Amino acid sequence: MQNNKREEISRIKELESINLSSDEIRDSVVSTKKQVEMQNELLASKVNANLKSHKIKSFDVVGAIGAGKTELIAQIVEKMHSNYRILVICGDITTRVDADRIEVHNAETVQINTGRECALNAYHIHQIIKNKDLQNYDLLFIENVGNLICPSDFILGTDKRIVVVSITEGEWVIEKHPMLFKMSDIAIINKVDLKERLGTNVDKMIEDAKKLNPNIQVLTTSAKTGTNMDKLVSLLEL
Amino acid sequence: MKEELKAIEKALEDLNAISKNELEEVLKSLFTKISNHIDKYIGDFPTFIEPVYLEKNVEIGDDVLLGPNVYIGANVKIGDYVELSNTIIFDGVTLGNNLKLENCIIAPKSHLNFENFKCTSTILSGKADSEKSLTKIPF
Repeated sequence: MQNNKREEISRIKELESINLSSDEIRDSVVSTKKQVEMQNELLASKVNANLKSHKIKSFDVVGAIGAGKTELIAQIVEKMHSNYRILVICGDITTRVDADRIEVHNAETVQINTGRECALNAYHIHQIIKNKDLQNYDLLFIENVGNLICPSDFILGTDKRIVVVSITEGEWVIEKHPMLFKMSDIAIINKVDLKERLGTNVDKMIEDAKKLNPNIQVLTTSAKTGTNMDKLVSLLEL
Repeated sequence: MKEELKAIEKALEDLNAISKNELEEVLKSLFTKISNHIDKYIGDFPTFIEPVYLEKNVEIGDDVLLGPNVYIGANVKIGDYVELSNTIIFDGVTLGNNLKLENCIIAPKSHLNFENFKCTSTILSGKADSEKSLTKIPF
C-alpha cells in the first residue's frame, strides 16, 4: 500500500469516520472497520468463556468522567472483599489515580493507560487475563475509560455492563446517550444526595433509561452516603 | 528485578550456551517482580498495560502498546505501531515500525531497523536492517 494511502487510513481510523475516506479507498476502510469490530467481538467471547470457565463473575462499569464509577466500585469492593477475591481493571487515559483509590479497599488492581484511546477494548482485557492465574479470583470489575460514547463500540466480554450517570450531568444525559443504555444491564443514577440542591428531574432520567431499554434495571444511588449500595450489590446477582 | 535482569544479560553473552529452561524460569520470576515505572519517557501517550518499567531516555513512537510485563532499558528508541508484551529490552536498542513482540528478549544495543515483524518466545540480537540478518534464538 502506498504511504499516502496508509496515512489516510490511519487518520480516518483515528477519526472513526468512514465518510472522510476518499472514494478510492472507501471499500478498504469499510472492510478494515468491519474486521476490527469482528475481532473485538471474537476476543470478547474468548474473554467471557475464559472467565466463566473459572467461575468468575464480571462487570464492565461505564460512564462519563466524574459520574462516580470509581467510588461505586470502591464501595462494592469494601462490602465484598471479605467474601470474594476481587480483581479490578481500571482504564484511564493516563495516571493510576483510580486504581490507587480502589486498591485501598482490598482488591487487586491493574491499571491500563490508554493514552489516546477513548475506551477499553476486548484485547486489553484479553492481554491482562491471559497473564493472570484466574483461579485466584471470584469477581472482576472493569472500570472503563470515562466516556459515555466510545465504550458502545467495544464490548469487553463481561457478564454484565453497568452504566453510571450522575444527576450533576443533567436530566438529559440519558436520552442524549442512547447506545450505552441500550447495551447495558444495569443503569445507576448516582449522586442522588444532591437532588434537592440541584433540582434534577431524576424520574425523567429513570423513564428515559427504561424507554431506551425496557430490560435495564435502574437504581438511584449515592456512593458518598451509601444510599442503595446494598441494593446495587444485590443487582449483581452473585 | 535487577537480579533477574543481570542473570539474563549474562546469559546473552554466550547465545549458544543458553539453557532455555533456566531462561524461562528467570523470565517467569522477573515478570512477578516488574513494578510500574512509566513516569518519564519521550513521546506522546502510548497505551500502557501495567506493569511496565521504563528506564531513562526511552523514546516511544505513535500508536504503541506496551505491557503487560515489559521492561525497557535506557536509551531505547521504539518506532510507531509497536506492541510489546512479556518482553525484555535491554539498553541501547532500536525498534522499527510495526513490530509485535511477545515473550521476547532483545539483547543490548540491538537494532531492529526494519518494519512489519511479529515474533514470539525468541531472543533477538544484532544490528539488522532486515529480518533475515537478525540473530534469532527461539525458546
